[in-house]
Amino acid sequence: MKISIQNISKRYNKEKYALKDFSLTIETGILGLLGPNGAGKSTLMKIIATISQPTQGSIELDGHNVLKEPDYIRKILGYLPQDFGVYANLNAYEFLEYIAAMKGVGGPGLRKRIGALLEGVNLIESAKLPIGTYSGGMKQRIGIAQALLNDPKVLIFDEPTVGLDPEERMRFRNLISDLAQTSIIILSSHIVSDIETIADEVAIMQSGMLITKGTQSEVISLVDGKVFETLLESSALTDFKTKHLVVNTIRQKDQVRARYISPNPAKGSELVSPTLEDAYLFLTHKKP
Amino acid sequence: MGAFYTIIISDYKQRTRSYAFLVTLAISLYAAYSFVPAPNATYSTVRVGGYIGVQNAAWIGYVTAMMTSVFLCWIGFYLINSGIKKDIDTGVGAIIATTAVNNFSYLLAKTWSNFLVLLTIVGCVFLMAITLFFIRSSGYPFQVSQFILPYLLITIPAIFFTAALAVVAEVFLYRYTILMNVVYFIFFCAVVSLQVTLSSRIDIIGSKPVFAAMQQTVFEQSHDASQAVSMGFMFGSKHHFHYFEFDGIRWTAQAIFSRVVLICFALLLVFISSRFFHRFEIKQKFKAKKKSKFPEIVRKAQPSHAIKLSTLPPIVSAYGIMPFIKTELLMLFRKGPRWLWLINLGGMTALIFAPLTIAHQMILPILWFLQVGRWSDLATKEKTNRIHYFTYASYKPLSRLLPAQIIAGIVLALVLAFPLLLRYLVGMQFLPLLSIIMGGVFIVLFAVVFGILSGGKKLFEILFFAFTYANIEKIPFLDYFGGMNQGINYSLLIAGFVGLFILLSFVLRRIEIRRV
Repeated sequence: MKISIQNISKRYNKEKYALKDFSLTIETGILGLLGPNGAGKSTLMKIIATISQPTQGSIELDGHNVLKEPDYIRKILGYLPQDFGVYANLNAYEFLEYIAAMKGVGGPGLRKRIGALLEGVNLIESAKLPIGTYSGGMKQRIGIAQALLNDPKVLIFDEPTVGLDPEERMRFRNLISDLAQTSIIILSSHIVSDIETIADEVAIMQSGMLITKGTQSEVISLVDGKVFETLLESSALTDFKTKHLVVNTIRQKDQVRARYISPNPAKGSELVSPTLEDAYLFLTHKKP
Repeated sequence: MGAFYTIIISDYKQRTRSYAFLVTLAISLYAAYSFVPAPNATYSTVRVGGYIGVQNAAWIGYVTAMMTSVFLCWIGFYLINSGIKKDIDTGVGAIIATTAVNNFSYLLAKTWSNFLVLLTIVGCVFLMAITLFFIRSSGYPFQVSQFILPYLLITIPAIFFTAALAVVAEVFLYRYTILMNVVYFIFFCAVVSLQVTLSSRIDIIGSKPVFAAMQQTVFEQSHDASQAVSMGFMFGSKHHFHYFEFDGIRWTAQAIFSRVVLICFALLLVFISSRFFHRFEIKQKFKAKKKSKFPEIVRKAQPSHAIKLSTLPPIVSAYGIMPFIKTELLMLFRKGPRWLWLINLGGMTALIFAPLTIAHQMILPILWFLQVGRWSDLATKEKTNRIHYFTYASYKPLSRLLPAQIIAGIVLALVLAFPLLLRYLVGMQFLPLLSIIMGGVFIVLFAVVFGILSGGKKLFEILFFAFTYANIEKIPFLDYFGGMNQGINYSLLIAGFVGLFILLSFVLRRIEIRRV
């Protein structure tokens, strides 16, 4: 399976673009989308999910233009929006049956499938309660369950781990890694570690444009030999930050251990192994 | 003081930027135009027995002020009765609850913003009334005081009272929107009936001194003291009416004082309600109630259940709309308090035993109006509940979900009307039977179209209320269910509207889906 996004733009007015001439090819596996707020991640996901129309460009799934034939992708799509709601009066079973009907899924095995999914997202014990009584994390989990209802071949998760505790985040990762063998999974998150542990490929976006895309090691290699750590006096930190991109600091009594990215390291600095977070911050950092 | 002012202005801006406000404003202006009938019109709005006033400044000023007062006490309430609910829904209320603003200040700010919304409409109607004077007066002198005084002393206190009452209703009935609407409907009917009873001292609308002055003027001209005052849209030829010259009224200190008392009473109600205000502690109460029902489930540590998605039962395609209809009916059934179903059952029983005319003309529209909360968000609940990202990304949302919503709404209408339908069927009266079915289809599609168009339920609620009241008052134009008009041509007219609404609902939803 392959999704080809070609020259997609989404323009709100003459000067404001949510996406600008964006092209990307996504194949089976997990693609992690990273980018600061307003980078266009959610807009891109909504367009792929066919609920938003681009101003120009095309998206093809295995040769089918999904902008012209939205139902082609909708049949095999699982989508978890960033900001979604629920019908508070329905319980988890009823709500998922409703969503299943929307997705065109039925048959005698549906109830069993819903039960298994609720078990998978750890909601089976509360499945008969009205969703209106659920906590934020529980609602997020019901969102994850609905996305998996129709055995999707294209899965789009927009910030899926928001509101989940560490254990639930781990459970989520395990749940979708099973699907990655046969499906395209697009996952956006602000938490770089979520992407780091699960994504086969990473795409970094900023201001509606694609900055880079590649495997994690390819993206990390962009900051190879540029990440350092050094010990500084606390009072020197502010001045140091004006010269280098400081990505992390750890206080140690009167001193500060600073992790920074720079092509020209300060004297006494120690070269360290870069991470995806270093690469992300380096690529999306806006110079003052 | 700054926070107080900010709450008022922010709330006012938020409300006046809504579709419902614009539509209510447009309806108000149209209504204002109709408050002073043209000389050749076949209806009157205020008359004293067989007398109506010549269209001078006083007549136009006082009639439009009184009619606006009635109109906004009626429609206006439904426009403004969700100010606190909006703060609950948006979560802004939770932030307000943590600030230093006390309950009374908050509710008073809401009252003022409600008042400003209605005042904006009054301002537009006031200008319309002056314009009407210059169109219709035929030579009578323009006296600005004959416009300012009635609006100042009749309309403004009445809308302030309505603004306060909307806040009080939200405080006490915040969980029972349908009940709130119904209670106010009954209250309004009572107010209007008391209004024309001159012996009663209750005068919320503010028309009693005007009625008394009009009667006095007519008496001076005709020496007939038995002329009763009527107000509302009264249809029929005006050929046999006499005309009298109304010069306005002398506002006595007592009359002015009574209007000030009304405002003070409204403030007192707001103050009392502030003692009972929930201060946005709603969700916690709801959760606590549910937790106590299922304590062991919620508190128990959850075991880990690893599942493999590839081992789940295979999916079977099912693209029919029956599951949607089932869920939509389930949601319609569960919406609102359960005791309302007892009233519905009572209404259905009344449809069996009441005289046919009363059952058709009175009970049926009221029974349907009780469902206003169920129908008003029939096609907008995806957006208000933020489910639309799921629905619009689903398979053929336009041709599957929307028809299911419409069908579920119609099923509810027809189930409620079933006893009456059965009576007509047994009596072989097929035309009224058809009218009721068309009426049920009409009102559901009306809810769908106006819901999608306005993006909310308020507009439909206001219009449905207007329809119901007009039908009970036997105003023929808004008879959508054949209570008064039962000819085949009338049924065809409603069928035409139904066809138009079906087309509109699909076109509007299609646009909506594309604009997410």
